[in-house]
Amino acid sequence: MHGRVKVRTTEEERERKKKEQALKVRAYRAAMGRIQKKREAGELDSEMLTLTVQILQRNPDVSTLWNIRRECVLEKLSKLKEEVEDEEEKPAQEEPVGDKPPVKEDKAHSIFTCELDLTEQCLMVNPKSYSAWHHRCWTLEQDPRADWQRELQLCNKYLKYDERNFHTWDYRRYVTAKAAVPAAQELDFCTEKIKVNFSNYSSWHHRSLLLPELYPNEQRDRPMSEEKLQQELEMVLTAAFTDPNDSSAWFYQRWLLGSGAQLDRAPRVAAFRLESQGAVLALDRPYPDLKQLKTELTGGEQKVELQSWLPVDSSGTSWKCQQSLDYQRNTIYSLKLCDQEVNLSPLPGPEDGAFYFAPPHAAASCSKELLAELQTQLQSCLDLLEFEPDSKWTLLTSALLMRAIEVSANHEKSLAHLAKLEKVDALREGYYKDLAARWTLEYELAKWPQAAGFPRNFTLAEDVLLASLPYGQYFVIADELNLSIKLREQLGDSVPITFADLKVKGDF
Amino acid sequence: MSDDLPEQFDLVVIGTGFTESCIAAAASRVGKTVLHLDSNEYYGDVWSSFSMDALCARLDQQPEAHSTLRNASYTWHTTEQEPETGEPTWTKDSVLAKSRRFSLDLCPRILYAAGELVQLLIKSNICRYAEFRAVDHVCMRHNGEIVSVPCSRSDVFNTKTLTIVEKRLLMKFLTACNDYGEDKSNEDSLEFRGRTFQEYLQAQRVTEKIASCVMQAIAMCGPTTSFEEGMQRTQRFLGSLGRYGNTPFLFPMYGCGELPQCFCRLCAVYGGIYCLKRAVDDIALDSTTNDFLLSSAGKTLRAKHVVSAPGYPPVSKGIELKPHISRGLFISSSPLGNEELNKGGGGVNLLRLLDADAAREAFLIQLSHYTGACPEGLYIFHLTTPALSEDPAADLALFTSQLFDHSNAQIIFSSYFTIAAQSNKSAAAEHIYYTDPPTYELDYDAAIANARHIFGQLFADADFLPRAPDPEEIVVDGEDPSALNEHSLPEDLRAQLQDMQQATQEMDIQD
Repeated sequence: MHGRVKVRTTEEERERKKKEQALKVRAYRAAMGRIQKKREAGELDSEMLTLTVQILQRNPDVSTLWNIRRECVLEKLSKLKEEVEDEEEKPAQEEPVGDKPPVKEDKAHSIFTCELDLTEQCLMVNPKSYSAWHHRCWTLEQDPRADWQRELQLCNKYLKYDERNFHTWDYRRYVTAKAAVPAAQELDFCTEKIKVNFSNYSSWHHRSLLLPELYPNEQRDRPMSEEKLQQELEMVLTAAFTDPNDSSAWFYQRWLLGSGAQLDRAPRVAAFRLESQGAVLALDRPYPDLKQLKTELTGGEQKVELQSWLPVDSSGTSWKCQQSLDYQRNTIYSLKLCDQEVNLSPLPGPEDGAFYFAPPHAAASCSKELLAELQTQLQSCLDLLEFEPDSKWTLLTSALLMRAIEVSANHEKSLAHLAKLEKVDALREGYYKDLAARWTLEYELAKWPQAAGFPRNFTLAEDVLLASLPYGQYFVIADELNLSIKLREQLGDSVPITFADLKVKGDF
Repeated sequence: MSDDLPEQFDLVVIGTGFTESCIAAAASRVGKTVLHLDSNEYYGDVWSSFSMDALCARLDQQPEAHSTLRNASYTWHTTEQEPETGEPTWTKDSVLAKSRRFSLDLCPRILYAAGELVQLLIKSNICRYAEFRAVDHVCMRHNGEIVSVPCSRSDVFNTKTLTIVEKRLLMKFLTACNDYGEDKSNEDSLEFRGRTFQEYLQAQRVTEKIASCVMQAIAMCGPTTSFEEGMQRTQRFLGSLGRYGNTPFLFPMYGCGELPQCFCRLCAVYGGIYCLKRAVDDIALDSTTNDFLLSSAGKTLRAKHVVSAPGYPPVSKGIELKPHISRGLFISSSPLGNEELNKGGGGVNLLRLLDADAAREAFLIQLSHYTGACPEGLYIFHLTTPALSEDPAADLALFTSQLFDHSNAQIIFSSYFTIAAQSNKSAAAEHIYYTDPPTYELDYDAAIANARHIFGQLFADADFLPRAPDPEEIVVDGEDPSALNEHSLPEDLRAQLQDMQQATQEMDIQD
């Protein structure tokens, strides 16, 4: 076969690969062994840096080696510092004064540059290496001359390769904060990435952090200003309609339609009842220890700080205070919790007392423009449901839109959507049931102030079917709960505790 | 030089067009001795790309009875005077001064990213000789405007021309087409079997705009296209999406003339011999050996088989050619369509044109300098339609008026020509195999099928273009094929190995 091409057979190739593999394993072990010996001996020198490079370039996830490198870098820096101090101690006349370049800084900078180059190479091998990203941050923190613009370019480059790498997005947020990149510019970048591929949780999330900052909502009852919200809703619905099976857009839309509740804000008073023997307080969200928040009761000239709060339930949403108070009829009382101040109403009936009640998720007001946008979106969803009656995300979204437009008028319709969802998306049946229970309770609690016997009695009609009873803390101001036998059975021990229950126990 | 040629070949191929080159490469690849001749001084025959000068010279050449390129004409539309003020405009001289920056195709094509040719290039490893640019926009005419057809998911998301419900319908329709055929018994296939694709489309409750996107640009079909055919074409389009860039298409950098040369190169790597500017004067059959005797430049060559492109004497004598494709080639200093379609200087845009009742079609390929086919600031428009007559300009008049009548395209140069084909394919005289000249198609499917067919006739049992090994896979004579090649290791690992040999002596390292 002279002059003919001979190609390795697969058998031969496999054999060769095996040898190569064995050789690599030996090289790896040898290098690791050497590194460990050197470390025990405290030799944090240049050889150590070279040895770790060899391994990290192939496997950037050996965090031990990154730790060793950090030790080496710190060692080098401290040596550098010593050298400089030594030089400074020398008589000054040997050096020409003034023009001496800052050699130390240059040297230090080159140490950092070397680390940055290494992490960059390693991130090419594994762009999702936690250790490599972390080492990069560490290096930049050490370097007083860190070039944040360069880091920004690096993010751009990596996000071009993979626009969904959440490591890069995370790192980008870190860099943009350091480089003081204007949020508007970041938003534009984020929009570009979404245009390329909207199936990207990271970029939607990035938006959700930027928008509230750029377009704050004055009332704080929506995630951002209504005008911007309108545009965002339009954009996200377009994405959702283009590919309804992609969940990222739907999740973002859910956030947009939400109340933009800031997790860090203090809990608010949901319900409060005061009698001369003590008081109960329900919060709209759990709080670990109410004693740490200042609660102040004002009535006429009198000002009392309520202390010694004890939890009524295990979740930290309802609290009792066994402080006896000198309740005065015909005095208007108000309660102050943190920066929230609410006026109490006198309890109807013969007994003395006052109360406060605010149903959960009182509908946020809505400008005409936003309302129009929501209605357009709802119409689009309903149009789509004609073509695809079983489309899960469309069913859920249209229910959410209806509620955003007008909660009580659309209550029945939105529950009908959930009932349908339980069938078409049976795997999440429990989720939809819970959601239905929440919506029902929100609806019933909103109606409660108009009901007879409020706030002493709460009645839930027999035909209201519930899988659970959320918002239980709101009932702490009631005396009697009229719930169906079936529901009581279902709830078992978790029937909400009422004011009357506490009295029976002898708390008040 | 002719004396250095061997005298005996398994195969002599006459003409270096796409199909011939494909056959030559395939034969050479499986160990056949191949001589590849072309009387032209360039590769590619009518599949070639030319510089500006060379194109004019080629179009000036007097056609003969057997020529596949005919009815050629060209016109310069530039004024000779320099304008007094403003930006410098292009003149004939300034264009010709950049002649070598042009790669002007006689037969421009667009490749489906997962189509026959791309698959063949990958399978045979010929792809390493070629470079491509992803087509930037697939366009259609809508209400007299050229608009981009949303191809990918991100296109659909970003387009402003569809309402959100339309977007949903389009995506749903495309998904349905893509999934079609996986379950043969699905309702649609039964209901629409034997009916037209258009009827199917109408039954899907899609809007008029979506219907035209699909008919004109995605399925690329007409009112009479059958349901099965339309589905197949749609799938072909969708199957090529998401591979490279935003559209399902590729265009070869520096023009389509590169492609035959890629095949020639593989042929040469496997020992094929190339002679350009070499005509065959006569062919005879040796009745005792059944070999062909070719006389060329005073020398007689023996060949077991002969493959020839039409249009090459003496083999083409007696073959009747008739117009097959009418071509228009234009150079303009401004692109077609709006700014959005030509962002950043434009790229490659594809537009399928139809007459009023969609009975006739043409396709337009617009190229910018990013393809390496023309200088910066100029654009090439390639217009191709099936020929009706010997007058290519008349055949194309309808489409040129659609394109240029109400546009601001500044045409500098225009040319028209015809590509002819055999009127009778059975004319394979004396066991010489004739390849088909370029047919009217977007990709190279028919040409590849033609090459495959002829190759199968010649060497029935041989593999058609199996994968060519990469250099590092090739074993040099006398080498242990399973030996570990130290040079295949990265440099630092090699250095490390040497250190290690010392280290292993000191430490007890177990494998």
